[in-house]
Amino acid sequence: MSVLKIETRINEFLIIEDPHQNNLLGEVVEAKTYNRYIPLNIYGDFVDNSVLESLRALGYNIDDDTIYIAKVRLLNEALYPIQTGSDVRIPEFMEVKDIMIKSSTEEGLTLGVIKNTDDLAKDMDDEFKDLLYTFEEGGLIPQNEIPYILDLKSMHHYPHIGVFGGSGSGKSFGLRVVLEELMVQNIPTIVLDPHFEMDFGEVASYMEEKSIDFTDKFKCLQVGTHVGVKFEDLSAQDLKNLLHAASNLTDSMNNVVDILFKPRDSYYSFYNRMQMLTEAQEEGSLDRIENRINNANDNDERKAWLDRRDLFISYDKTCPYNSVRGIIWRLKRLGNDGVFSKDIKEIEDGLQNGKLIVIQGSTRILQVFSTYLLSNLYHKRRDYKDALYKKTTAEYFPPFLIVTDEAHNFAPKGYDSPSKSILKEISQEGRKYGVFLILATQRPTLLDETITAQLNTKLIFRTVRASDIQTIQEETDLTAEECRRLPYLRTGDVFISSANMGRTIFARIRAALTTSPHTLNPFDELKSKSKEDDDKFLNIIMSKLPINDIELAQVALEIEKETNITYTVNNLEERLKQMVDKNHIKKEETIFGYRYKV
Amino acid sequence: MDALNNKLKEKVVDLNTILTEKYGSILKMNRQEIRSFINNYVGHIKKMEKLDKDQLSIYQSKGGIVGVDGSVNKIGGAYPHFVEIYQALAKSTTHRDDNIVLADLYTPLYTEQEETTLENEVRIIDDKRNMKLSTIEVDAAIESVKNHKPYAILMDGGLIRYNINAHDRWMELRNLCEQEGVILVGVIKDIKTSIIGDKIKEVDKSIKDTFYDRELLFGQLDYGEMITINEEANRKEPKGYASIFLRSSLAPTVIGMDIIDSQREYIEEMARLIFTLTPENSRGVPLWLDIVDKEVLISDDMIKSMMEEYMDRGLYERFFISERDKRN
Repeated sequence: MSVLKIETRINEFLIIEDPHQNNLLGEVVEAKTYNRYIPLNIYGDFVDNSVLESLRALGYNIDDDTIYIAKVRLLNEALYPIQTGSDVRIPEFMEVKDIMIKSSTEEGLTLGVIKNTDDLAKDMDDEFKDLLYTFEEGGLIPQNEIPYILDLKSMHHYPHIGVFGGSGSGKSFGLRVVLEELMVQNIPTIVLDPHFEMDFGEVASYMEEKSIDFTDKFKCLQVGTHVGVKFEDLSAQDLKNLLHAASNLTDSMNNVVDILFKPRDSYYSFYNRMQMLTEAQEEGSLDRIENRINNANDNDERKAWLDRRDLFISYDKTCPYNSVRGIIWRLKRLGNDGVFSKDIKEIEDGLQNGKLIVIQGSTRILQVFSTYLLSNLYHKRRDYKDALYKKTTAEYFPPFLIVTDEAHNFAPKGYDSPSKSILKEISQEGRKYGVFLILATQRPTLLDETITAQLNTKLIFRTVRASDIQTIQEETDLTAEECRRLPYLRTGDVFISSANMGRTIFARIRAALTTSPHTLNPFDELKSKSKEDDDKFLNIIMSKLPINDIELAQVALEIEKETNITYTVNNLEERLKQMVDKNHIKKEETIFGYRYKV
Repeated sequence: MDALNNKLKEKVVDLNTILTEKYGSILKMNRQEIRSFINNYVGHIKKMEKLDKDQLSIYQSKGGIVGVDGSVNKIGGAYPHFVEIYQALAKSTTHRDDNIVLADLYTPLYTEQEETTLENEVRIIDDKRNMKLSTIEVDAAIESVKNHKPYAILMDGGLIRYNINAHDRWMELRNLCEQEGVILVGVIKDIKTSIIGDKIKEVDKSIKDTFYDRELLFGQLDYGEMITINEEANRKEPKGYASIFLRSSLAPTVIGMDIIDSQREYIEEMARLIFTLTPENSRGVPLWLDIVDKEVLISDDMIKSMMEEYMDRGLYERFFISERDKRN
């Protein structure tokens, strides 16, 4: 504890000038103010404001008696107790540079600013100034604090990043900023995007001309439309994983795939084999199949049944009818999703060119596809590295990052999922091969524990759920006090707990340069849509006003002729009434009934 | 324990009876009667208005207000093995970082002159304390007049005791204030006078007991009312001071204020200042004096640790650690 005349804020750095030890650097972990005259209570008297105002008029401001009390955690343990009465001061930038900035802007990801460092930032090197803007209530604010630069190279030693935070906490924006920085650095990256939000083509409205054009740096690919699984490349295991992702497989079904699936099978050859086997099994016995062969109407039919007979003989005992049907159903489901209609060539090319590849699809499709995709890419990279080690040759495949939101869907705790096993493998040995994970989730409690344990850097945004706070407290070096602050963090404020830094840093994520396509408020959308419709309608009828009620049918006919838009009389009248309600046109009674006019 | 308790209870009941008997007639007097008596014989009862911000700002521009208060700490045990430590503080509303602090101490173990007769010990200690404390308080005020040049000085306690306990220094302060035009007032939290009681005795010869102003005035004034005591009624010795009573807060007690004679014209203005600076829901003491009081006060623990640090341990232990100190 130290009593200060300087105003201190939480997470600010202070130097304690102990006369017997060198300067000790510490971080404020608790800040309080104290005024011995406030709460306005002296000897039990309650002081009213008018008296304080009077004292102020006499030249005495009671607020000036406020002292600041800070609890400071030393960065390095002090060998001796700190001398009572040691002076405390705010450090110079150079004194904290090494612990604040671990990487240059060229080599790191400039994610935001370290909070409450504006005093330090004044004499900061120019290379760290004016790198970014933060977004506050009032709009964009130029950087006036020390930048937080995530040391990308340190991922080699401290791989994998976790991004935790509830909805609205700034997690998605944080992820967007990370991805923008990765694009700036041309780091090959795969993004699994179940929300269809990781598009970087749209410049954020608040950025004006300060943005960077990312158009050539990323590519959005949709599963089934742009990319898919090349069936011919699948191994039996791959296929089982895929089918399993579509819906759980029983042991017997697994067995069916092992038996019926042949290397180099195409989707159709595999599908037909199963289809024919079930048709044979539906006949019920070999005798009845023979019967079919004998009574065939033509050669083709005979040939078909002969094939079915062979399959029946080979597989009926080992492949129960129901299991085969189960596989067919799952295969068809994947086929209908378009999973087997494309390949992953475009993804590989993108990575080779240092691009950010965004894979979009529903959560279920992504689970299926990512299982195949990630293990495929990971093994390509692994084969290349292993080949280097064994001094054989293999095609070059670059190191890359895998980024996903809703990571608990891909690697859930407590039950198995196909994508989990590959993510687990990468989390445990990806470091060796230069394959790293950035996993974001709003439910860290639901994320597989082995994987959570491998996340060396964690960005923790506002979290409200008690069970998640508990998990965070267990899995990070956040103190109990910091955890207590978690539910109250402002959107975009984040604790960054990083093995590389050796301590938790309180930071604010910078304003993203680009914006998600989903930022339009749905209620604004409704409004603008109906305005658009109204304008269109007004445009059509303006020239026809005034319209008497008896002319409605005539007008509807004219409109259809001119614009090809069909209104029934009722319809047209309904719309006209709406326009009256909205004060666009007027309705008046005449002796002949009523009419609509401008 | 029970027997003792009963004895004590009887004593307390007796006390209640005695007080009821003595004060019966006074307590029965209605408020109107007492107020009209005061108006007729003691001084005019008047309603005050608080000062407005503009007036206060003028004070600020003329040097602000200074509060002066003292504190006493006693360390040690019975006579003569103790030391009393006195501190005085003069604090200005305008010179935030320029507090004037003076200190002195007294112990019977070391005296300037011979006076160690045990019978007189209580009187001597009281005298010493009053003298030393008053002296440093007055000295602090003198220094404040010189350094702060305030508009007015509020002393904590009546002015008369300075006249008695630190006469020479007091005269210097008085003259200095008159010379510099600094208004000098004393704020008396606990009034000990019997001005009204004396008057009652004088008017009604049947009353023999002396009643104190504190008892008589309890609850008799409205919030913001003051009594300017007639010169004729104010027969306090020594002469040279004008006094008032005022009820400055919602608490029913009444406080007093002294001013030096030559500054009598400011008496109402100063009463209003005190009224303005006193929180409505308080004991009636101006906040500024409470703040000064709080600042001048040192805890016994602080004094002890200072003694431990700056005295030889042997000496400190030998003279000033009492059996009571070691109890826990």
